Amino acid sequence: MNDRRGTGSVVTMTLGIAAFVSLAATYAIGLTLPKTYEQGDYSKLIAIHPGLAWASYVAFGVTAMASVLWLWPRTRSLTWDLLAGSSAEVGVVFTALTLITGSIWGRPTWGVWWVWDARLTLSALELTLLLGYLALRRVPADAEVRGRRSALSALLAVLVVPVNHFAVSWWRTLHQGESLSLTPKDTLDGKFIFAMVLGFLSMTLVYAWLTIHRYRLARREEDVVTDDLDAALEARRREAVTS
Amino acid sequence: VSYVLAGYGVTLAALVGYGAWVLTRGRRYR
Repeated sequence: MNDRRGTGSVVTMTLGIAAFVSLAATYAIGLTLPKTYEQGDYSKLIAIHPGLAWASYVAFGVTAMASVLWLWPRTRSLTWDLLAGSSAEVGVVFTALTLITGSIWGRPTWGVWWVWDARLTLSALELTLLLGYLALRRVPADAEVRGRRSALSALLAVLVVPVNHFAVSWWRTLHQGESLSLTPKDTLDGKFIFAMVLGFLSMTLVYAWLTIHRYRLARREEDVVTDDLDAALEARRREAVTS
Repeated sequence: VSYVLAGYGVTLAALVGYGAWVLTRGRRYR
């Protein structure tokens, strides 16, 4: 067992500072973006909303990758199972925030808080799938069974992510198309692109910081369960010897 | 402007709140 208190380390401290500084910069730059002709002040949301959506995709991706590594017999380890679960929980925060900030952006620009179009519906489905995945992880089972069913369900759930990414091109939606592309047509002003890319960076750093802490917490919780089980087994053995 | 502040505010509150929750729970373990 580790003597250190809490889930921090030099790595999380460094990552935490980087996340804090970049997030502060994102807020400072995002909130001071100029008004635009089409959206007025509301374009300022570009610094956070796409970054949150990006981080939610990263969370899904890490959960899926960790699930594959758990399923692969040669790399199977409790680490991957716990990482998959931790990343999914952090993913819930980012997916929920993507929906909330998107809704806040939609109200003044589209005139509605919500509309059941492809992008929004699929994002809501992603949140539902993540919550379902976390609920499934809580169903009592031994580590092997939990690991297998979690990993398989995560791999099914992640299929929604590419569909959601291309949803704005495949279907006619109220949501705008890709903001960044290799062959840009209507390019955004440089300031807005910079704010958005900074948002991607800061949200990714915040995601990584949160996920490492959450993973270490999961590990500690698992250790306590194992220690308790070992102690209980030991107690029963002693009873057997003395009686 | 209030929509913008609401978006930035709710994001900050949720990230800080969730982070604090994880750190607090982590501190219970040695």
